[in-house]
Amino acid sequence: MVVSAWAVLAATAWPWKAALFPLAIGIPVFLLAAAEFCVAATGRRASAEALAVDFVASQHVDRSLALRRTVATFTWLIAFAGLIVAFGFSLAIPIFVLLYLRTAGGEGWLRSLVLSLVAWACVHGLFVRLLALPFPEGWVQAGLRALP
Amino acid sequence: MLDALFEGLLLILHWKAFAFMLLGVGLGFWVGLLPGLGGGTTLALMLPFTYTMSPAEAFAFLLGMHSVVATTGDITSVLFGVPGEGTTAATVLDGYAMAKKGEAGRALGAALMSSLVGAVVGALALALAIPVVRPLVLTFGSPELFMLAMVGIAFIVSLSGEGRGGLRRGFLAGGLGLLCAMVGQDPQAGILRYSLGLLYLWDGLDIVPVLVGIFAIPEIIDLAVRGTAIAGDVSYGRLGKGVTEGIKDTFRHFGLTIRCSLIGTFIGIMPGLGGGVAQWLAYGHATQSARDADERKGFGQGDVRGVLGPGAANNSKEGGALIPTVAFGVPGSSSMAILLGGFFLLGLVPGPDMLTKHLPLTLSMVWTIVLANIITVGASLVFINQLAKLTTIRAHLLIPFIVLLVFIGSYTANNSYGDLVAMLVFGALGYAMVAAGWPRAPFILGLVLGKLAENYLYISTTRYGAAWLGRPVVVVLFLLAVLVIAYPFVQARRSRRRAGARCAS
Repeated sequence: MVVSAWAVLAATAWPWKAALFPLAIGIPVFLLAAAEFCVAATGRRASAEALAVDFVASQHVDRSLALRRTVATFTWLIAFAGLIVAFGFSLAIPIFVLLYLRTAGGEGWLRSLVLSLVAWACVHGLFVRLLALPFPEGWVQAGLRALP
Repeated sequence: MLDALFEGLLLILHWKAFAFMLLGVGLGFWVGLLPGLGGGTTLALMLPFTYTMSPAEAFAFLLGMHSVVATTGDITSVLFGVPGEGTTAATVLDGYAMAKKGEAGRALGAALMSSLVGAVVGALALALAIPVVRPLVLTFGSPELFMLAMVGIAFIVSLSGEGRGGLRRGFLAGGLGLLCAMVGQDPQAGILRYSLGLLYLWDGLDIVPVLVGIFAIPEIIDLAVRGTAIAGDVSYGRLGKGVTEGIKDTFRHFGLTIRCSLIGTFIGIMPGLGGGVAQWLAYGHATQSARDADERKGFGQGDVRGVLGPGAANNSKEGGALIPTVAFGVPGSSSMAILLGGFFLLGLVPGPDMLTKHLPLTLSMVWTIVLANIITVGASLVFINQLAKLTTIRAHLLIPFIVLLVFIGSYTANNSYGDLVAMLVFGALGYAMVAAGWPRAPFILGLVLGKLAENYLYISTTRYGAAWLGRPVVVVLFLLAVLVIAYPFVQARRSRRRAGARCAS
């Protein structure tokens, strides 16, 4: 509701050519969102039939455990993104795979190291060597290079 | 025509052209499998290598690569819930659900066989339609293409849940997708819309990181939460047996497979609609093939028809897209626009010459699509059991590699870190939608169709004023859109009446 309201308000400041379609979509979306908000506010839950043509998240796992694992996985994803920015893909990939397998996966050192190297080799061989795709270096390497 | 068909086959079976086709097939196999390595991008990368080839060899190589990308893209969609190609996202909904139920083999068998049927239908359409397609293509102008986009958006209804609540959420998700499609520079007035002051958003949201994020991230999280293999505790023996079942499913639902192939061919013929539309229209049609509301609920939970429809449409659109490309020099898709570059590089001019002087070459393209898909499906079936075994590997061993695929796939779309952020943001949105029971498919459909719909609406109103609303094909398509929206309600009413009659008796 907030997003569609903002979208409509922003569109009112544009010339009609640019605003026509956003308003044509934004206003109905706002009205539908308001209806959905009212339904939710009255405490009515969506019936089973209303559930989407889409996969349903696993229900058999304990809620608190599911929440912990969800937060942990998101943290890993964000951490990997951070590693990529800091060290570039070439270093971030083996570091991420090694850390994930050792900590979250509970795997032994040997298996974790081997799989990290395999991951790095596959990505390096296919994307860097064969396809010559440019993976830039990370901020750390760039920073070290800039040092006198 | 028969002579030219035979001559086209001989062109392809010449050892050099055949070798290049095999090379292209090998390349296309991996391009389709790996998210982010788009078929279009790879086509562009391979174009310079065709300088020294003859036209038959060049098209054998390029089409051999491109025509199998959607086939193998379905494999990653089924096994990991990560769309291998932007055009194989719809397969994730039921294909991955089947893999989680231990039916990965069946899903793969269905995806591969329906892909082959779709490819053959598309190739046949290319062979038969070229002489007659001109009036069809010329009939479809901006008003008709806009209304076709509206028909596509009407299919959102099919992708939503049941009842008022489900429809409301479906339309909200679709509306949100349409709003996201408007991010970036407005094509009419050049105004920056919803860019939040970020340079990254000036060009709008790229479909690849959004698709990969919204589909793959929730699946990765669910896999981590479950802590089991993708196939749960299902034993491997059962996985392997399903492949034959999946192949049989294609012929069990042969009518649906053919209809979805025709949908894909038609969408491919229409320049400017793009491959992403065909899969969702086919999926929406597949859901409407459900006999009653109870059967319809099975879609998204592992109904094999949800794999057959998009699988067939994805491949048939290739043959369809070649029709306007070869016959008129009007690319049927963005990949065909790149292939047009190949025509000029080889000294060929699309148009009447391709249907007269170079007809055998044109028909060799038909044979390439058919043979390349037969080879790919055959090779995939040989390895399918090994591929299906991947669904029995423990989650924590698999997750880092799936995450790698997701991140690299998102990054290589535009070589931009912004795409990684977009992928994570839409991944979080996708997870929230799944957790709250909101459908993701209408959002993607809105995102894909939004820009097209707006452009065609603007061109239609500028060129024709209000008169475009009265064009015959526009009226027919409008009625079709109304029918598509009304059909689930009619079906639900019929189910209730039947249930009432059963109770009474």
